[in-house]
Amino acid sequence: MTAAPLLAINDLVTAFETPAGRLPAVDGVSLAIGRGRTLGLVGESGCGKSVTAMSILRLVASPGRIESGSIQLTVDGESLELTSLPERRLREIRGGRIGMIFQEPMTSLNPVFTVGDQIAEVVRLHRRAGRTAARARALEMLKLVRVADPEQRLDAYPHQLSGGMRQRVMIAMALACEPDLVIADEPTTALDVTIQAQILELLADLRRRLGTAILLITHDLGVVAETCDDVAVMYAGRIVEQAPAAELFSRPLHPYTIGLLAARPDADRRGSGPLTTIPGMVPPPQEFPSGCRFHPRCGYARQPRCAAEVPPLREIRPGHFVRCHFAEEISP
Amino acid sequence: MTTAQPNAEGTAAGQRSAQEAVEPALLAVEQLQTHFPIRKGLLRRQVGTVRAVDGVSFSIPRGQTLGLVGESGCGKTTVGRSLLRLIEPTGGSVRFAGRDVRGQSRAELRRLRRRMQIVFQDPYGSLNPRMKVRSILEEGLVIHGMGDRATRLERMAAALERTGLAAAALDRYPHEFSGGQRQRIAIARAVVLEPEFLVLDEPVSALDVSIQAQVINLLAELRQELGLTYLFISHDLSVVEYLADQVAVMYLGRIVESAPAEQLCRQPLHPYTQALFSAVPSVEPSRRRQRIVLPGDVPSPSRPPSGCRFHPRCPLAEAVCREVDPPQVDLAGHRVHCHVAGRELDRSGGDATAASAAVAAAIIAATAGPAAPSPPRSDA
Repeated sequence: MTAAPLLAINDLVTAFETPAGRLPAVDGVSLAIGRGRTLGLVGESGCGKSVTAMSILRLVASPGRIESGSIQLTVDGESLELTSLPERRLREIRGGRIGMIFQEPMTSLNPVFTVGDQIAEVVRLHRRAGRTAARARALEMLKLVRVADPEQRLDAYPHQLSGGMRQRVMIAMALACEPDLVIADEPTTALDVTIQAQILELLADLRRRLGTAILLITHDLGVVAETCDDVAVMYAGRIVEQAPAAELFSRPLHPYTIGLLAARPDADRRGSGPLTTIPGMVPPPQEFPSGCRFHPRCGYARQPRCAAEVPPLREIRPGHFVRCHFAEEISP
Repeated sequence: MTTAQPNAEGTAAGQRSAQEAVEPALLAVEQLQTHFPIRKGLLRRQVGTVRAVDGVSFSIPRGQTLGLVGESGCGKTTVGRSLLRLIEPTGGSVRFAGRDVRGQSRAELRRLRRRMQIVFQDPYGSLNPRMKVRSILEEGLVIHGMGDRATRLERMAAALERTGLAAAALDRYPHEFSGGQRQRIAIARAVVLEPEFLVLDEPVSALDVSIQAQVINLLAELRQELGLTYLFISHDLSVVEYLADQVAVMYLGRIVESAPAEQLCRQPLHPYTQALFSAVPSVEPSRRRQRIVLPGDVPSPSRPPSGCRFHPRCPLAEAVCREVDPPQVDLAGHRVHCHVAGRELDRSGGDATAASAAVAAAIIAATAGPAAPSPPRSDA
């Protein structure tokens, strides 16, 4: 028997109760992240990737609610069911065992406290460290994430830092208590490419040194290809394909993944006619189609099956799971 | 699954090059400068200057697309707006179809602006939420006195259809559309005036991948069908490489390198261009280059560094780079401002491939040290 993964999500359903009806933003998602591994969760706006991440820490805002499913975190040989853990225990998990990095550090950092105070607060909460010790730890963290002039920056306010520096501070906060898992939601989307390169390099380096597992949520397939061990592709609240990164990018099997990869412009496609596009757009939750949710946009769809029957997530090749009735015929 | 006919590409390109021979560039920009004063205190005394655009020159032949790339704060958006005098330039010249844009009176400028339109990044912010699509599109037609009521309606319906929307959209509000559709409306608003030149300022950056491809295809189609000339401003190198004929790379208010698109991505000469290309994550392992991670952040354009503006972040910076602004080296249309690249070009006898490889090798050698270089202080 293999050891339990660090985090195992099973058949998670998170829905929003609205005047327009019940909207299942996350509809039966299962994921597992091993210790020290990086899992990329990719998809376009509204596919449910961020709601999945927020569900893990039970941070989904009302009227959103985890309706069913389980989220198990296994630390020190003990499995904790996060969906039913008392709020008080969960607070120890947030920031202690699981750190978070968001897209826009300016809105996630508190503008009226210095960055040193904000990092120290995390340490004092979770480690019950004294003021001096917490401040020393904050300084150590700023050094770890390679902030220039860390002693001075400890007393700087968020607005005095550049976007890249602020993201480093966010990472320092997320890692201050040496969590087992970091959830990074579009951590580089707001940054320029050369700054993105710095941050990705830093995350990879910290992972090597600290052995932290990372759940990386992004819409950028290139970022996933270069940083993740495993990838899960989400579409309309469900995982449609999951595989080790190298496998997924060399042999995409789901028509949606194939379409996303083909729609990327680059110099090699110059002069070879228009880009391949996926017709239509991502449906909002109140309009999720029946059967396979991708079928109205899918060039391979066959009726009546694709509109009638929800395809199960099947293992087509070792470790490569696809939610498509006809995956065997599509694959080369 | 493709949405457009890939044929007729060759013929249009042929027409383009024939036109080029007889006509000067549709847009010619010389030493463009746009500086903003920094004012402080009760008397609003000027205490400094932000040199957002500081001596930028380029030209775009009719029917061609120039891609302007660079990171936040490099001045690329200010260039686009200065061309249309949405922001007043403080120096240099802009000639559009032979006319000096900066010397035009208000009335003349208005007439000229019908011919040069702009599409902004954020389709949520650029369309007035309280106006129906009809009013959004009609506004320009009325201002420019284009047609009576009936012909205006015809024109608007045709523009919408051309951008992939039904005429029924006229009676709806922007919030009723998705991001991609809103960007189509913004494009329709520009093309309804039958312009010759479009400034496209990050037109697809806010869109999801699958929608982005649809809008890129639309822009390529319009360019072909209407013979449009584009200035395509973007931070996304992949999009620019795909769409542009010529690419210019900006850093801190200046163009540091420009070349035909293919040449620029195959043989980048400037260390900044090399770093920029190497930093783009790719899904294809064969396209991945050895990543060059630049230290630090872009300095403030109010206090640009001396000499070459890139020198504080450049792994190849030498004494001369800190003191002397590098002159332009022009190798058959591949222009670069860099002391080191210039020297490598000399050494290789003008072989851009060899010079590009030599610069890349030098960067890799310079950054391969065991410890990461500590970034210099840049933001106060």
